[in-house]
Amino acid sequence: MWDFRALHIVKPVVALPPFRAFLLTVAIIVASSAIAFSLRSERGEVAGALIFVLGITLAGALSGLAAGVFAAMATFLLYNFYFAEPVLTFRLSTGSDIMPLIVFNLCALVAGVLAGRLKDRARAADAANARLSSLFETSRALQSALARRDMIATLEREALKAGIRVRVADTAEADHARFSPGEQDCIDQALARRDAYVRHEGLVGYCLEGGGSVVGVMLLSEADAARCEPAFLAALANLAALSIERAALSERVAVQTANARTEELKSVLLSSVSHDLRTPLATISASASSLLAYGDRLDGNVSCAMLTGIVEECDRLDRYTGNLLELTRIEAGQSGESWQILAVPDVISSVLRRVRARLGDRRVSRQDDDTELLVRADASLFELALSNVIENAALYSPNGSLVRIASRREGAICRIEIADEGMGVAPDELERIFERFYRGRGSSARRSGSGLGLAIAKGFVEALGGSIAASVPGIGARGTCFTIRVPLGKAT
Amino acid sequence: MTPHILLIDDEAALVAVLEPVLAAAGYHVTTAFAGASALAQAVRVAPDVILLDLGLPDMDGKDVITTLRSTIDTPIIVISARHQESEKIAALDEGADDYVDKPFEIGVLMARIRVALRRRPSEDGGLFRSGPLTIDFEKRGVQLEGHTLRLSPKEYALLVTLARSGGQVVTHKRLLAAGWAPNTADTQYLRVYIGLLRQKIEADPSDPRLLLTEPGVGYRLIVTEG
Repeated sequence: MWDFRALHIVKPVVALPPFRAFLLTVAIIVASSAIAFSLRSERGEVAGALIFVLGITLAGALSGLAAGVFAAMATFLLYNFYFAEPVLTFRLSTGSDIMPLIVFNLCALVAGVLAGRLKDRARAADAANARLSSLFETSRALQSALARRDMIATLEREALKAGIRVRVADTAEADHARFSPGEQDCIDQALARRDAYVRHEGLVGYCLEGGGSVVGVMLLSEADAARCEPAFLAALANLAALSIERAALSERVAVQTANARTEELKSVLLSSVSHDLRTPLATISASASSLLAYGDRLDGNVSCAMLTGIVEECDRLDRYTGNLLELTRIEAGQSGESWQILAVPDVISSVLRRVRARLGDRRVSRQDDDTELLVRADASLFELALSNVIENAALYSPNGSLVRIASRREGAICRIEIADEGMGVAPDELERIFERFYRGRGSSARRSGSGLGLAIAKGFVEALGGSIAASVPGIGARGTCFTIRVPLGKAT
Repeated sequence: MTPHILLIDDEAALVAVLEPVLAAAGYHVTTAFAGASALAQAVRVAPDVILLDLGLPDMDGKDVITTLRSTIDTPIIVISARHQESEKIAALDEGADDYVDKPFEIGVLMARIRVALRRRPSEDGGLFRSGPLTIDFEKRGVQLEGHTLRLSPKEYALLVTLARSGGQVVTHKRLLAAGWAPNTADTQYLRVYIGLLRQKIEADPSDPRLLLTEPGVGYRLIVTEG
């Protein structure tokens, strides 16, 4: 780490005893004088003088060097006036009378210096303690911050609490608007020189080193820098570097998690696509090769049915190909670049228009608590996730039954519920139904699901930073309820 | 006696094609659209061959294989649009005998059905013949166009394992179990020994016609018909 000791120019100043220290000193002088006077008549002059010495030592010890010297001078005058011959004059009769003055002052000096040192130490210890606890507070506050921006704001706020105005610049996130031209110059110089610190127009800029590179610059005024111990500044800079590094790492982890999710989704899509394409191809290939090999042995009606089948399956292939194009668009939608603010009730309406044909005679009831329920998502991605879940509800519920779709705000989350009156799902299958190619035990041969719809919906909802879960029952005591949670978006 | 085929697939269009064609080819066909009914049919009709699609609506195809294998040893040919090697290996490990990828030509399916219906050579005797290749299990002799081949014990063990499943795929795992102690070998060894075998039995080892590779799954010793 950098060594900041060279920066330390101004020593901490010993503050003068405040008003209370002065009052205390006066009180000690008065008290010691009174005791000295009362003792002089009984115990003699020496006892009185010793009491004065005691008073001076106390004043020095309690209120510092200046108070001690003040007490010594005052006591000397009192002693000279009331005790030393000739009494009640300031005149010294002999040269030896100068002795008490010297002794008093020496006592005051020794006591005062000792007390002063003690005070300085105590004050330094207090200051160090305060810095330490502010460092601790800062590091604790930083733990809850995750984004780099939050991290820096927390750092600056906590430093301000400790009485130091610190600005931190993140090298990865050039936010020029935050800094004055002077500050920006200092940052640029610090980055250019990559030294421990640079001074520029009354500012000091510290390079924040993390993981072998400079991750940022910490700025503070020269006056603030001079007030703090070098070790404290080093620790603060270290903390700043560490937290920026940590934020950078957690951001990298987030990106990688998102990438991994994208990869998983891609493979789901790929197997979906290849499965969907091969199924009609299997019929076409089997029909055509059968007609070639067994055409003479097949009944005319059968041959005709096979040819019709080939035409129909070609049609199906064509539809899949159309969907493929749609899918590539959705692939692009995961990056977040195409994300926009969408009103959830509008999206549900548009999805319902699209899947109307597949809903058959099933009735749909809507309940949207908030028409301005907004999410930030890719439109086609979000629509496909919803339509897959709604189609699933239609697939596994009888004609004429009810499908209920509700949307509402739940804290910072948009919650969408799709419930049906279908056959429901066994409790031990509630999680497995989102797996690829898994189809519930209750599904019968007529259901034409590929076992991928819910897997794709789950992938898309998770790509939006949300979650999807199934629960039973759906409506009344029957069916299934799918709950989709997606983070709310803000209108821009 | 007409061989009986149980066809299990939920894809109605494909069943509508296969049913009449298999009938025209001289088989008796029973169909099932889901796992549960397939299991019931398998017990009821006692088929000679089962054609099984892995993507069934009610249960996973692999579970169907496991359940079938607990009661009967009828040959099972998997027909699937899932082409992942792991899926195929899992199905073969569960007890399936062979697989055909969708989409397929009817000729390929018919050939696989014929192989499945063929009587297996018995454990300690009998002959295996495929084109120029003859294996005499009793005498432990291998001949190519009448000339005796000299094979190492491992090569012979591999060839016999492939021949006993003549025409059908044999997984890496089974082949390794035939020639090596458990957990001591990997597919790298296998590749080397298959290469050695091809040197001896193939006319052109770089373009094998008898001993084929099933990428990622295993090997297949072709049985020439007629």
